[in-house]
Formats: sequence, structure tokens, C-alpha cells
Amino acid sequence: MAHIHIEDLSFSYPGANKRCLDSVSVTIEKGEYVLLCGQSGSGKTTLLRHLKSCLAPHGEKQGAILLDGAPLEQLSLREQAAKIGFVMQNPDDQIVTDKVWHELSFGLESLGCDQKTMRLRVAEMASYFGIQDWFHREVSQLSGGQKQLLNLAAIMAMQPEILILDEPTSQLDPLAASDFLSTLRKINTELGTTIFITEHRLEDIYPAADKVLVMDSGRIIAQGEPGEVSQVLWKENHPMFAALPTPVRAFYASGAEGKCPLTVREGRSWLSRAFQNHPPHTLSPAGEETVSEASPALTLRECWYRYEKDSPDILKGVSLSVPQGSLFAVVGANGAGKSTMLKAICQICKPYRGKVELFGVPAHKQKRLFSGCVAMLPQDPKSLFVKATAQEELAEMNTDTVQQERVAALCEISHLLHRHPWDLSGGEQQRLALAKVLLTNPRLLLLDEPTKGLDPFFKIQFAAILQKLKDSGVTILMVSHDVEFCAEYADLTGMFFDGQIITVNTPRAFFSQNSFYTTAANRMSRCVFQGAVTAEDVVSLYKQNQEG
Amino acid sequence: MKHDAFSKYHPLVSFLFFALTIVFGVVIQHPAYLLAGVLSGGIYLSLLIGKKVFRWLTALIPLFLLVSLVNPLLNHRGSTVLCYVFSNPYTLEALLHGMVTGSIFVIMMLWFACYSQVLTSDKFICLFGRLIPTLSLLLVMVLRLIPSFMRKTSQLTGARKCIGKSGDAVSFRGKVASGMTILSALTDHALEGSITTADSMRSRGYGSGKRTSFQIYRFTPRDFILIAIIAALTSGILAFGGNAATYTPAVEIDRVGVGLICYCALCFIPIILQIKEAVQWRISISRI
Repeated sequence: MAHIHIEDLSFSYPGANKRCLDSVSVTIEKGEYVLLCGQSGSGKTTLLRHLKSCLAPHGEKQGAILLDGAPLEQLSLREQAAKIGFVMQNPDDQIVTDKVWHELSFGLESLGCDQKTMRLRVAEMASYFGIQDWFHREVSQLSGGQKQLLNLAAIMAMQPEILILDEPTSQLDPLAASDFLSTLRKINTELGTTIFITEHRLEDIYPAADKVLVMDSGRIIAQGEPGEVSQVLWKENHPMFAALPTPVRAFYASGAEGKCPLTVREGRSWLSRAFQNHPPHTLSPAGEETVSEASPALTLRECWYRYEKDSPDILKGVSLSVPQGSLFAVVGANGAGKSTMLKAICQICKPYRGKVELFGVPAHKQKRLFSGCVAMLPQDPKSLFVKATAQEELAEMNTDTVQQERVAALCEISHLLHRHPWDLSGGEQQRLALAKVLLTNPRLLLLDEPTKGLDPFFKIQFAAILQKLKDSGVTILMVSHDVEFCAEYADLTGMFFDGQIITVNTPRAFFSQNSFYTTAANRMSRCVFQGAVTAEDVVSLYKQNQEG
Repeated sequence: MKHDAFSKYHPLVSFLFFALTIVFGVVIQHPAYLLAGVLSGGIYLSLLIGKKVFRWLTALIPLFLLVSLVNPLLNHRGSTVLCYVFSNPYTLEALLHGMVTGSIFVIMMLWFACYSQVLTSDKFICLFGRLIPTLSLLLVMVLRLIPSFMRKTSQLTGARKCIGKSGDAVSFRGKVASGMTILSALTDHALEGSITTADSMRSRGYGSGKRTSFQIYRFTPRDFILIAIIAALTSGILAFGGNAATYTPAVEIDRVGVGLICYCALCFIPIILQIKEAVQWRISISRI
């Protein structure tokens, strides 16, 4: 008998004329690892929330959800709480209590467990998840990755049979995200928990899933094993194809035959096999990247900074020069000081040694730093929203309606101006925040992790906006974890490590000389090609070599 | 906080200890007892927070001096006149009484400082959570929200600074307006967050029936013994007496006896425990 059986489920929100879920039928077996993917707003979250009565949205619903053959509604709230675990997107807001140990026991307390059982289950979970080192800590001292792991552990303490996760890693950095996903994988293989998850970043999770469902406007348009689903998406030329892992995209786009590679390892062996008998004649992608000779928009010289007198230095002699009109990307690990560097440029943190020059003038001498010179888009776009509509948000920055319209058109938010900022999707919020920032007419735009939590389609749209800005002469400095994004769109890339910028180079040269800190396309193709850093590079090289 | 032996006892023991030392500290005005209170509280605080104790002293000493010197200005009783201030007598007795009141303040502050180090919020909730379960959960959630609000506020102000909307407007009106903007944005964030928190609570079975509460602190025989000792010392202090003292109009102080010994033993419990543990540690190390 199927573990979860969704039968012809349709749902529409009150007052909406369009169905949010349209005859969805899904069968999930016990212990399966099921990935649900689709564009933002395709109804993924609505579907997941229907699997737990207390979270299900209100509206018109048809069809049935069966758990072990019995309708879900027949289970009491308490049984549902124990059997079905639900992890949400925001690591911070899900946490209820102030201490780690209390959070772990919260679910058990709610279920009315006795002391002895609680003690054992909490101890078990803390050891299984490696939490014992921070068991007594305050929740507020944890990192985002630790918080999300705690949320997962707190739910696993209730020993659920099914684990439902709604984009659990979208707010985490890549390292924490892959940690989280591997823990999830461990839970699935070792404990046999059924997992139903939605994700944007498919690179890691896609090959690991037993079954993939693709949703589009409330319908399931493809389901099956990862290999089958990618073939369907390619044949239908579906926009979701762009979100698939690099090896899959490269394989289909090159028109190769055979079994589709899903992981970097499979991608490598596909390429090695393809060029086994006739080694490639063209090794590197055409088109030399040139370093801009323009005068620098921003120069940092030996900047040193620490937050408190006795605390360690965060910036240890950062030197950096960003040419005018370029998109400069800084990559590096979490907590390395990248964001502090941006603050130092904004003069929010004033370096105690070293120089910050903007367009040839020392930053502290710039009289009107934030009007017409520099502006920063923060990591969380929501932290810029203070008004009730998008229109008012723009008006707060600049009362000139012509300017507002120009920026709204540039950021593609003209149709959203009457909406409340909080009701917009993640990508739309990002663009509204960018519009607000652009109304200060910055010549140097600073971006802090702009692609965090964005789905691949919004990323492409966002990159197009950045290109337009560059064309109009704006210089952009971006710090990011997203190597794929940097490789594709940046003009120059720098590596931040230990309070310094270690190397600066064009993305192609930068990523092809790194062996770990590089794109999946590069890791996959370096056995045959040199300097291929994007899926497109691999495809064009493959085609050139096959033809010739 | 530094390593501390007394903090490892059950919260009930710590609570009882602080309740007694604070009550005795406020009630007893005998100079020997006051001295014992100041010494024990001060030493214990320095064991708990180390060098930071000097920051406390710089606040407490002026407080003590202020209370001592001001009291004779308001209280003119007493027979030994030292001088006249504003044609009112400034008496030795009133000065002594002021010093006693000052010491009581100091003792109270010291013990409360220790209390806040030892009885952390989770210990407090462990003690009173069972009496009022809903309220204690509310308290826990509030305690969690405070740091998260602080962080959100600095995140919001930081983000606004970087687009030139900083709070350091020159005019008072500008400052108020910018503060209100932040506050209203903070409310939006809080409401949005609380929806997620509520979902997370319901999805983990909150409100699905009877709740229990997880006790991380266990009551052991060790705790029982210490409570017995505290009870014995308390009855000793009450039974032997010898702690009365009046200052105005004339100074009359009881002769000290066994009562003082009991009081000292009580106040120095955390320090004695700390020494005992240090000695035990040394011995166990030297045996290796």
C-alpha cells in the first residue's frame, strides 16, 4: 500500500478564479525520497501544506489525500503532529524557544511525553545530529545552518514517518545547504523516513532523489525517475530545464546520445568516453576575455578593520580595484568578512588603517555618499521595506514620478506597484528592493548575496537587469556564494579569504585554475577541456569537436 | 560566566540560597553581619564574573558614599553632633545609620548580580514553569524574541543607512520620524515571523492536548543535603540571635555569638564549595 496517495486533488484560494492545484495525483511509497520542483508560484508550497491538516490553506478543495490508505482528515491533530514532520523555509522564525535543548523537546512536550521518554529521545537526536556541543546554547547564537539543522532535529525527535520540507536550504549558504541535504539523505537511508521535498538548487539533490515531480501552474507535468524527467523536460523544451543540474543540461544541449549523466562524476565519464578515440582539437572556448582598462570606480588600499577593540581583525589589509562599468564578483566562505568589506566601502564601518577611494576621491570626503555615488542592496531585500505598497516604497526614495517610472520599468516591476511589498514573491521583492536602491542613482552599486533564495528564472531575469545597468555605466560590486552565477555573468572575480582578497582574475581564468572552488561545469569538463566554466562552454566545445 | 560549583546545583537550591541571603541582608543591620554580607557577595561575584567585578565596584562605592553622606542631611537624630549643615545638626549616629543603609544597598546589588549569573532564565522557568505552564512558555518565547528583535533592528537600520536613509537626521522631528519608520517595519517583520512560528508550533502538536514540560535539571541527593545544611544554618541564625543593632538616637549593638558564625557559613557556601572543588581537583590530579 502506498504511504501517501494524493488522488485528483484540486484546490483554489477563495476569490481566485484560477485553480492553484489542478487534479494532482501522486503516489509516494514508504521510504521514498521524492523531489518536487517547479517555478516560483507553481503551487509547490500549497501542495505540501495540504499534507498536514493544521497547515492546509483555506479554500475550495476537491479530491482526497490518503495516508496508509486512510483519509488524512481521520487522523487526529496529535497523530498528525507525530507522524508528519514539516520543515519550512525560514530557519529563524520556525524556532519557538530560547534554548537549543528546549527546542529539541518542544514537540515532545506538546505530545505530552513523560520525562523518561523525552530525556532519551532528546539525547538520541542531539547525538545523531551532532548537536551535543551546542546543546546548552542560546538559539540566538547559532548560525543559519545550525538553526535549520536544529529545526530538523526537533522534528525528528518526534520520530515522524514522513518528513515534508519546503525549500529548507534556500536561506543557507552552499556549504550549510549541502550539509543539511546530506543529513537528510542519511535520515532517508538509515531510518527509512519518507521524504517529500521542494528545492530550487537542484545540483546536489536531483541525482539523489528516487522520484522527481515537476509542477507547472498547479499541474504535475512530469513525474518519474530523475533521468526520465529530464528527458521529458528537454523534449517539451520546458523552462524548468534551465534549473536542472549542469551535467544534464550540457548533455542534452550537446545532442549527445546514450544515458544522461546526473552527477559531476557521471558527466566526467560521459565526456571522457566521448573523446576516448579522437582527442579534442579545440581545447578552450573561443573569445578571449579582456580586463577592462577603465579607471577604477573603487579602490581599497590595505584596509584593516575590527568590530571591537579586543576582537580579532575582520579585514586584514584588503586591497581591491574595481574598474568602472564592470561587474566585479567577490566569492569566499561564510564569515570571511565579505559583507564587512561592503560596509567599509559604505563607510558604515570605518577602517582604522588603509584607504577607501570612490571615483578617485577618498570615501570619507565624499559629501553626498549615498546620493549619486554608492548604494548597497542588502542580503535580505525585506529589510528595505517600510511602506504599504511598492509605489510608496519608491516614493520614499524619490518623489519624481518620471524617475520612479523609469526605475520600475528597468526592474520590471511596473505591474506590481499597487501590491504590498510583503505579498510579492522572493524574486519580485528582490527587484523592488533593487529599484529602491537605484533611485539614489548610484554610480557604484554594491550587492550582498543577490541570488540567495532566488529560483533559476529570477536569476536570469536579475542578470539581465544587471546587464542593462552596466550598459548605462553603473559599476557593480557583488559578493556571492553562487559560483555558477559569478562564472556566467561577472567580468572579474576575486577570492576573499582570511580578511584579504587573494586573487583577482576573469571568471574563466579564475574558475579554471581552482579545483574545488569552481563551477560544476568546470569540474565535469576539466578532464577533456580547459577553461570551460559554464554549461554553454561545454556544449559549444563539445559540438565544435564532434563536427571537426 | 566562569566555572562555578554552586551553579551546578538544582535551581531550587540556588533560589532558596539567594532568597535567604537577600532577605537577611536587608533585614539585619548589625555591622559584623553587614561586613560578612558584603565580603561574601563581593567575593562570590568576582568568582563568577572575574575582572568585570571592578566595573561593579566603581558603581557601588559611589552609591555607598552617597547614601552614607546624604542620610545625616535628612535625619538629624543622634547625640554626637559633628557639625552643622544649613543650621541643622549633622550627627555621627545618623552617619553610621547612613553607612548601614548604604551597605544594605551594596549587599542587595551584589547578591542580585550573582543571582542573575546563576539563575538563568531557563532555571527560573524550570522552577516556576510547572505552576503556570502557559505563562512560562510565553516567557520563553519573549526571551527568544528580544535578541531577535535587536538583531532585526540593527539589520534594518544598517540596510537603510546603505541607501542614505540613516537615523542621524539633524532635527528632532527627523529622528522621531526615522525611528517610527523602523518601528513600523519591525512590526511587519514580527507579524510575518509570528505566522511562521505559529505554524511551526501547530505542526509540532501544540494545542493538540495535554502538555508536559521537559526538566533538564534533576534533583539529586547532593541537592537535598545542601538544602538541609541551608535550613540548619537558617534556624541557627534565627535561634541564636545576637544580630540586633540600632543607631539613632544612640548606638546600641548586640554582642556577636554563634548566630554570626551560622550567618557567615550560609553566605560563604558558594565560595566554600568552589574551594572544596578546587582542592578535590588538585588531589585527584596529584593521584594520577
